[in-house]
Amino acid sequence: MSGPILRRSVLDGISFATFVSAILTIIVHPTREQMLNLPIVAGIFLISFLVGCLVSQILNSMGIKTLGQNLFEPDYEKAKAEAKAWYRTFWGWHLFLFILVLFVVGINKTKFSVIELLDQDGFAGASRLFKGLFSPNWSILPTAVYNIIETVFMAFLATMFAIPVAFILSFMSAKNVVMGRPVSYAIYFVLKAILNLTRSIEALVWAIIFSVWVGIGPFAGMLALMIHSIASLTKQYAEMVENVSDGPIEGVRSCGANKLQTIWFAIVPQVILPYISFTVYRWDINVRMATIIGLVGGGGIGTMLIQYQGQAMWSEVGTIIFVIAIVVWAMDLASSYIREALK
Amino acid sequence: MNEPVLRIKNLHKTYPNGVHALKGVSFDVKKGEFLVIIGLSGSGKSTLLRCINRLHDPTSGEILFQGEDSAKLKTPNQIRTLRNRIGMIFQHFNLIPRHTVLGNVLVGKLGHTSTIRSLLGLFSDQDKADSLRYLKLVGIADKTHIRADQLSGGQQQRVAIARALTQNPEVLLADEPVASLDPATCHVVMDYLRKVNQELGITVICNLHFLSLVRQYATRVIALKGGEVVYEGDPNNIDEAWFEKIYGEGAKEVHIN
Ligand SMILES: Nc1ncnc2c1ncn2[C@@H]1O[C@H](COP(=O)(O)OP(=O)(O)OP(=O)(O)O)[C@@H](O)[C@H]1O
Ligand SMILES: [Mg+2]
Repeated sequence: MSGPILRRSVLDGISFATFVSAILTIIVHPTREQMLNLPIVAGIFLISFLVGCLVSQILNSMGIKTLGQNLFEPDYEKAKAEAKAWYRTFWGWHLFLFILVLFVVGINKTKFSVIELLDQDGFAGASRLFKGLFSPNWSILPTAVYNIIETVFMAFLATMFAIPVAFILSFMSAKNVVMGRPVSYAIYFVLKAILNLTRSIEALVWAIIFSVWVGIGPFAGMLALMIHSIASLTKQYAEMVENVSDGPIEGVRSCGANKLQTIWFAIVPQVILPYISFTVYRWDINVRMATIIGLVGGGGIGTMLIQYQGQAMWSEVGTIIFVIAIVVWAMDLASSYIREALK
Repeated sequence: MNEPVLRIKNLHKTYPNGVHALKGVSFDVKKGEFLVIIGLSGSGKSTLLRCINRLHDPTSGEILFQGEDSAKLKTPNQIRTLRNRIGMIFQHFNLIPRHTVLGNVLVGKLGHTSTIRSLLGLFSDQDKADSLRYLKLVGIADKTHIRADQLSGGQQQRVAIARALTQNPEVLLADEPVASLDPATCHVVMDYLRKVNQELGITVICNLHFLSLVRQYATRVIALKGGEVVYEGDPNNIDEAWFEKIYGEGAKEVHIN
């Protein structure tokens, strides 16, 4: 099956199956026990998915465009479409119903409730919290400052360690560099897969993994941020490498330069400024992430925050939030000025 | 003087996308000549030059360079050695914009320099002296420490010539070296190419678009059409009839002075 048809079938199948599942849930009103019976639930979903694929196939062969077809068909097919209001097309209603169902299920799943939001007791709790936040306890300020310095340096070190690794990996994962050499191309594919996997695991999860490995504390947080930064920077760096202009590369190659010389003389000068700019931005992101990572035991200000939050000491939490806000704001400002200057 | 440096025999090039850019091209290049290749856009001129220094791989045929078939070279090392012996300049100069003029000219020495030394920027004094000598030859020794992207087009092309010369090449390839320059600058650059050809005795193979330039600079001319050689001979013998044959019915010659 060709790519567009496969993608079309998956989208149409999933939207159909979601629709069927939602309708079934409303009609049957299954108990929690029944909902947790994965084989049955998955079976129903899978069957309706397949039916959806089939329906999509039939509709499209009759010339009625489904949502999947409309989205994934090649551009030259799209160009043929006549302009019509969405409610006069099949795919328009398909999209509308799909979003409607997702919305209904979403409200149901998140237990969305206006009543809770305006509840008297809850309101009182929240107002106590806010009162605490706005009357910070300045006596813990020195500790907070001490801890946020730890957080900033955790982010700094993670960024610094990630730079050289990402720098080297970025060339190995740029298509224009590896092209024409089977071995490099194989490495490229493996590397891309590993990096995508690494990036799809959140820094927070890495922090949990490392806090088991090396023990709770800033070291675990630093390692988590470093892994995440390597994966993200490599991707961003590699994109820059793929966008360099070919002229200098051709010029350097024509002089008999080898691969490393070509990279160093023709590609690096073209990407060095964007590299620095991305790296500064990454440090900025890492400071924010380091705070969050502290919440799960990555050390620094985040760990301090979660301790006071656990004891409902809102005045102390207020102080900590104030310190975080100042630092994040300053980092954000500094990084945007630096990046502006590098353009 | 008359033995060929290059003998090209039945050269074919088909690109991966199926375009058959060269269809059995054969000709000789004599030592010390200024050979100009003309032809319509898409006739295969650039492809031909890039096959000669193996920036592109020819599909079949022979390229005898000093008697050795460079179309057969396989390993990256052999190909780099070949490229090192052949200089090339380009329509868009292809300099490194952020490097200085000297830094760009030293790139011509990469083929002689070990990877470690070159990455650390440790070029020998001899290499630097060579670079300065060639910068002087093309008349921009005063710009040595200026960034390449600060120069005008004509100056950049002269830097590119100096870069190619530091390779100490036996042949210099020029792919439309003046196509993005104004008419006055264009003559300055062409004059330097002629100087390189006559004073240093380097064989020049040059793609050009303007016939007036061809008559002025070429010692011999080859015309390509649809990937085949349709004319080979004296530039002054290209008359109206040949012109129409090369450029198609109803084409008119434009003059550039
Ligand atoms: N990298 C490439 N991949 C695929 N086809 C190419 C490539 N380079 C050139 N071609 C095709 O090969 C043919 C010859 O191109 P070439 O660039 O050699 O012509 P040219 O004579 O130099 O033209 P111009 O005067 O426009 O520079 C053209 O049809 C072109 O589209
Ligand atoms: Mg060309």
